[in-house]
Amino acid sequence: MVVELITRRDLDEARDLLAACELDFDPDYDNLLGIYDGQRLAAVGGRAGYLLKMIAIAEQDRNGTLLDELLTELIRLGCQAGYDSFAVVTKPTNIPAFSSYNFNLLAQHPQAVLMEYGGGLHHYLHDHRHLVREGHNGAVVVNCNPFTWGHRYLIETAASQVDWLYVFVVREDRSVFPFDVRYRLVKDGVADLDNVLLLDSSHYAISALTFPTYFLRDVDIRAEVQMTLDLELFATRLAPFFNISKRFFGTEPYCRTTRNYSAMMAELLPQWGIEGIEITRRQVDEEVISAYRVRQAMRREAYEEVRRLVPPTTLDYLLSAEGEPLRKKLQNFTGRH
Amino acid sequence: MNIVRSVQAGTMQSSDLMVFVQPAAEISIDIESTVKKQFEHLIRAKVVEVLQRCQVQGAHIRITDRGALDYAIEARVETALRRAAMEG
Repeated sequence: MVVELITRRDLDEARDLLAACELDFDPDYDNLLGIYDGQRLAAVGGRAGYLLKMIAIAEQDRNGTLLDELLTELIRLGCQAGYDSFAVVTKPTNIPAFSSYNFNLLAQHPQAVLMEYGGGLHHYLHDHRHLVREGHNGAVVVNCNPFTWGHRYLIETAASQVDWLYVFVVREDRSVFPFDVRYRLVKDGVADLDNVLLLDSSHYAISALTFPTYFLRDVDIRAEVQMTLDLELFATRLAPFFNISKRFFGTEPYCRTTRNYSAMMAELLPQWGIEGIEITRRQVDEEVISAYRVRQAMRREAYEEVRRLVPPTTLDYLLSAEGEPLRKKLQNFTGRH
Repeated sequence: MNIVRSVQAGTMQSSDLMVFVQPAAEISIDIESTVKKQFEHLIRAKVVEVLQRCQVQGAHIRITDRGALDYAIEARVETALRRAAMEG
């Protein structure tokens, strides 16, 4: 029987089973399920939103139906939580196993593969087919937490070099500014640029799925694997659909993870026929504009500085009654994103 | 039968299928199957048959199949439709 793993003993057993399968325990999950054989934990599997993770079956139990039961329950709970598609990042040797459950391969690296169940990417593209444009198009992927003059400059410069520019706003809500606010401020901030098309990146660009370490802030082998998967997904699935042949990004002076990601874009994208183009960041008061700097200035209530960093559309929001809860949140927030 | 909510039925076991039903203006059917090449048309025909019998006018049906036999498909689809049509 599949049970929710809750007690300290359950979690210790899960840790041990994962370790035996060379996987790490990751406390970021919505459900963590297991199957016991008597007192012994025989299978474990977790779900964080759309991502299935920490799936491990004890070696002696791999010929049975434990994975069937585990996946059934994870997906049932995921559906109840409102998701209709699920993904897993796993070892390449597991491709046949997950394929037999109707997971499709989205991207692969020698050390890890990205597979999806439920046709989420297919539906995402289908839902955005009205945005498909002929021509030599470009893309930027932005978080905009919040939208600054720096983003505006990046988008405007990029848009001037292509027929159409797709602006993918990172969907993932791990930033101070929630997605709907970030999206709206980008929309208002680029409203006058008539070859710019805005869309939500969903799970398919810089998300917890393709890029968890962006949010974890550590740089190691795992980061390289994830960045490769993210870029392959972009280059082989999103880019051909929207006729994208150029990807633009700003110079990154502070964040090492972002800087590594930029370097990988320039290095990896050309193999799929996409040019990675770096654009030098705009400066104000001899310091580059960044959303981080805006958040710091907001925290200090240095509104004069904020005014120089963001367009009026963002400023109006920041100082509005609607922005009040965010101003409070920023004053108490100490995280990097 | 009027589809009013999103539901799921079935399991991930071998010889079974998962059925996902969502409200929609028209009928649309997506099928993923480990035996898609050989049997997609038969799975689709069975789903259409159940939809007609239950008089469903609009629904988005997604199937992920692991080689289920036709009576299993029929039972799972009908169960999902009944759940999706249930009020409250």
